[in-house]
Amino acid sequence: MKLWRKFLAGAALAVLASTAQAQDISNLPRKETVIIENPEGTVKNPGWFNIWVNGGGGLSTGLQQLTMDTLWYIDPDQGINGAWYNSLAADKPIYNADFTEMTVKLRKGMYWSDGVEFTADDLVYTVQTNIDHPGMLSSALLSVSVDSVKATDPYTVVFKLKKPNSRFHALFTVRWNAIWVMPKHVFEKVADPVKFDFANPISISAYKLKNYDPQGKWYIWEKRDDWQRTPLGLLGEPGPKYAAYVDGGPPDKKTIAQLKHELDIIHDNTPEGMFTLVDQSKSLATWFKGFPYAHPDPTLPAVIFNTQKAPFDKADVRWALALLIDMKAVDLASYRGAATLSAIGVPPTGVAMTTYQAPMQEWLKSFELDTGKEKIKPYDPTIPTQIADMLRKQPKFKDQIPTDPTAIANQFGYGWWKPNPKAAGELLEKAGFKKVGDQWMQPDGQPFRVRLTVEGDSRSVFTRAGTLIAQQWKQFGIDAKAQPTTNPWQPMQAGDFDTAIAWSVETWGGDADMSFFLDSWHSSFVAKPGEVQPARNWQRWSNPDLDKIIEGIRGISFDDPKGVDYGMDYLKLVVKEMPTIPMMSYNVFASMDTTYWTGYPSFPDDPYTDPVPNWGNSRLMMIKLKPAQP
Amino acid sequence: MTGYMIFVARRFGQLLLVVFLGISATFFITHMTPVDPVAETISVITNFGKSDPEAIDLMRKTLTELYGLQGNVFEQYVTFWSRLIQGDLGPSLSAFPTPVSQIIFRALPWTVGLMISATLISFVLGNALGALAGYYRKSRILKIISLGLIGLQPIPYYILAFILLILFGFVWPILPITGGYEMNADLDLSFALVLDIIRHSILPALALVLVGAGSWLTGMRALTSNIVTEDYVTFAELGGVGSTRILRSYVVRNAMVPQLTGLAMSLGAIFNGTVITEIVFGYPGIGTLLINAVHAGDYSLVLGLASLSIVGVAIAVFLIDILSPLLDPRIKAE
Repeated sequence: MKLWRKFLAGAALAVLASTAQAQDISNLPRKETVIIENPEGTVKNPGWFNIWVNGGGGLSTGLQQLTMDTLWYIDPDQGINGAWYNSLAADKPIYNADFTEMTVKLRKGMYWSDGVEFTADDLVYTVQTNIDHPGMLSSALLSVSVDSVKATDPYTVVFKLKKPNSRFHALFTVRWNAIWVMPKHVFEKVADPVKFDFANPISISAYKLKNYDPQGKWYIWEKRDDWQRTPLGLLGEPGPKYAAYVDGGPPDKKTIAQLKHELDIIHDNTPEGMFTLVDQSKSLATWFKGFPYAHPDPTLPAVIFNTQKAPFDKADVRWALALLIDMKAVDLASYRGAATLSAIGVPPTGVAMTTYQAPMQEWLKSFELDTGKEKIKPYDPTIPTQIADMLRKQPKFKDQIPTDPTAIANQFGYGWWKPNPKAAGELLEKAGFKKVGDQWMQPDGQPFRVRLTVEGDSRSVFTRAGTLIAQQWKQFGIDAKAQPTTNPWQPMQAGDFDTAIAWSVETWGGDADMSFFLDSWHSSFVAKPGEVQPARNWQRWSNPDLDKIIEGIRGISFDDPKGVDYGMDYLKLVVKEMPTIPMMSYNVFASMDTTYWTGYPSFPDDPYTDPVPNWGNSRLMMIKLKPAQP
Repeated sequence: MTGYMIFVARRFGQLLLVVFLGISATFFITHMTPVDPVAETISVITNFGKSDPEAIDLMRKTLTELYGLQGNVFEQYVTFWSRLIQGDLGPSLSAFPTPVSQIIFRALPWTVGLMISATLISFVLGNALGALAGYYRKSRILKIISLGLIGLQPIPYYILAFILLILFGFVWPILPITGGYEMNADLDLSFALVLDIIRHSILPALALVLVGAGSWLTGMRALTSNIVTEDYVTFAELGGVGSTRILRSYVVRNAMVPQLTGLAMSLGAIFNGTVITEIVFGYPGIGTLLINAVHAGDYSLVLGLASLSIVGVAIAVFLIDILSPLLDPRIKAE
């Protein structure tokens, strides 16, 4: 008994002693380790590294960021040496005249982390193995595109395509991720690549797996000794010796962790979490140095209409609903003012700012809308300035709000639609609606009912925005209500919605080509009512003029300057037709702590990459990060 | 004894029926969810920007076949039971082809370890303090402690957990706020690892104990207060039996019967309290697994977790029922 008492007392003392020590969260040398939030949280199947199969392993554990690689990257921002860069490819894709063949020249001297050289055989094996195994993620994508693939020498691969495709290379081009190249010498030895977990993954990039939590909370990657023999290494030596991707937990907790300097990069936070960090952290770095701090991702949250459902099939109705939105109020309610607005169908970020947003301004200012009773000019370029002026009155933001018009445009957008209830009413009347008492009635006499589907607690900024928009519609006499759901993509796929807040526009960011999302908007891909809509035309909108634009883009090469003209045509068309009401970029409150590392991307000083660390491109940060302490 | 065996057999039959109905209900409820695991996987793929509609149609067909989701819900139900009877929970849909059992049993020890130890600690602490507070009703110290623990009860667990997290993780940072052990830990069993695991479990366990102990204390104090007025206690006091012996042998022993029933119920239902604990403290276990599985429409994993919970609670209730007549002669085995 006495022995037990002694043991218990000893154990208690040992626990107390260990708690009293410094709260290092790992035994890694902190000055050599960058700790990054994995937004996937706890990974369900932590030992699964076969990224080519949906086996429950994580993607944003560092696996796609630090150990995988493919042919090309387009950074959503400027990149280190330009937004486009050749990674495992030695040059840009080479197409034949009718885009039925693509040739890839590969880099020489690239090695897997186990010392085997990367060659054309790996790429051919990747494509053929995916085609041969329908359980692999890219199987269908490659099966419908590739007729044959072969290596003509150890560093050249030729793809014969089943049909002309001037954007085939996009499958192997990272924006967020892409089809990663498989190590043939590993996978060819396993019985079934679909059931192979790829434990102890070998790497073709500058880091290799050091350790991971069998419970899925953390992953640690270590810089390879031969980092020079990887595409990332060609850009420079990565700074951190170790990169740890961790489950950051709820916003409050990751905010605390960063204040304690235990979490160097937060992937995304709530506006409130970000403002707390701005208030309390002395070592904070953000994309914008001042308000709104966040990184505007190249996606475009919008009010998406189900255009196959009356009365949302009428442009006048869609426009009426747009003119009832007071975007200043929506911005303040959702992002607390920290949004970058867009009135047009392209996110206000990356090259779109100079290629599309700025050049469209004069056209937008002169754009006229016929309400049936009058012609109005609905565009208001002063809205971002008004928001900036409002925020400047708040003492804590006062000094951070720019006055320079260009800076205001970059941070708050170029403009938006001016609320105009009178014109909205006229447009509804033009569409056959009538107001009875305080209630708007449809042409068939039924009350005008709108359900706005919003993503629940997981994307609270949109839930707040949707709630306010529904209120604004309701105040006008429409039976409108926000309808939260955990997953708005499901009803949008099924066409089981009136309107929803989500995005159907995602761009490359660093490149002006619109094909990334626009190709899927062709009318031939629009599902019949009741059938599942393939991504991404959730609005199920079709238009002959749009088809011409898409077919025009398909007929030219990716870097043809005519692509921007087609992009402009698309933007003007969607302003007139308003199939979705564009709202803002998806602003991501990524925050970075400079206690241990400096060199994070920021605007306008050095916007080399998206600071949101689940993007494949975020690997560029490893090159730019430098130790803050000796 | 024959009557008791009939009682046990009847209760065992009820146990099987409850498990069958519970799991069947869970099956149909999960299959009525609008979340489609095939669509979830496709959305993972299309999120990358690859969205050729023709390819997506092909993906849908392949994944439906691969996940075994062809046929109507009744055909899937029969397949599910035929597999379950053989002890096979099937592959996870969102972590295909990894077996559900492998995923669950990786996380289960953490949940069970934390919840059982926290439940037992709060049970012992709450009942001991409740018995003392009920017996020594004039003690000011016990009144203050009781008031404190009872006062914590109405605070939502989430809030209490965050208060502890901020107090001991930030204001006075002596305890880790995340995970089950430190990052890059050497997971070979060692004294250092055990200490590290204990250190990481202190905050989540403390939150659970503080919330749980109050209710045990309240119940035990009420039971004790009633029992101390019983004639046999008065006789014992008049007979000069020591107060410690009265408390231990006459009061606590009698008061413990309903409390033990409550304990068995709590242990059977340990899965219920895991979600918030694991999310707030980033503690490993099945709570986060369950949330992720629901969001991903992973019927197999949800069914596996729910089946485990149903079987756990049903067995706990069964054991209470069949043991009660043996522990307390006042309860008849009928």
